[in-house]
Amino acid sequence: MTGADDLIRRGANDLGGLPAEPIVISDHELLPWEKRCHALLDVLAENRVVNTEEKRRGIDDLGSELLGKLTYYEKWVLAASNVLMQKGVLTSDEIAQRVEAVQDRLGMAR
Amino acid sequence: MTAHDHPHAAVGEGDELPGYFEILEIALRELLIEKGLVSADALRRQIEILDSRSPALGSRVVARAWVDAAFKARLLADGSAACEELGVTMYDGTKLIVLENTPEVHNLVVCTLCSCYPRPVLGLPPDWYKSRAYRSRAVRWPRSVLAEFGTNLPDDVEVRVHDSTAAMRYLVLPMRPEGTDDLDEDALAGLVTRDAMIGVTRVATPG
Repeated sequence: MTGADDLIRRGANDLGGLPAEPIVISDHELLPWEKRCHALLDVLAENRVVNTEEKRRGIDDLGSELLGKLTYYEKWVLAASNVLMQKGVLTSDEIAQRVEAVQDRLGMAR
Repeated sequence: MTAHDHPHAAVGEGDELPGYFEILEIALRELLIEKGLVSADALRRQIEILDSRSPALGSRVVARAWVDAAFKARLLADGSAACEELGVTMYDGTKLIVLENTPEVHNLVVCTLCSCYPRPVLGLPPDWYKSRAYRSRAVRWPRSVLAEFGTNLPDDVEVRVHDSTAAMRYLVLPMRPEGTDDLDEDALAGLVTRDAMIGVTRVATPG
């Protein structure tokens, strides 16, 4: 189950049937940015820019370390960013420059 | 540009990490709007749609099935079409499959690969549904998972686990509890919980 062959057979998100800890029965109200992120991905799917399968693959491709560390919508927004770059919709420069511009606008140190 | 562009508490406070992802969301959204790939209006409408969906919609579907045998038959035959009768529309060609719990069979829903969920009838999934632990264990050790939700099934009840996909979403039709013959449809809907429609609990007898 944890051997190297299993790492090849399973994608990082392919969890079904693996042993895991007890379930923590938790929930939270979405933060405003999480809800905006969800809506953004929904509209991208509706407009045929990024579909559900591409989004899921983008999350898979983050790799097990990030998958284990990031929260649900942190994974979504990072995966969306990567998929949009891979599909040539946005460039990495565009995204980096806009991130800096937003940080400047909000008076954040970078 | 929109009311969402101004900073709120989470930006720039506390951990730098969450701050960064929030900034990334703003950056992507602005770029996509400028390129005409999404509109600010469509995003606003989608947030309204997300806010309008809740497990109360699923509860109405379940209560109707409990009181109307013909509706129940249509619901089990074609979940998407029957839900449309109650004004609940699926999206993107997604098929809704309704699973009936009986004294012999208990159904449980999971998405092992990600977080597929019958959002039009239940809203967004709870955090535990998206957790590594639930996704990993539900398909192999469903009885111990159910026990962690306080649901202890007799050994002679068969447990069926349904692994969702983007195109196939599942809703559990729980058993109507004993002692509810006098309740009307609205009162019955009030008994039906989100967790019972995911299949991790049963609907309890009121009182």
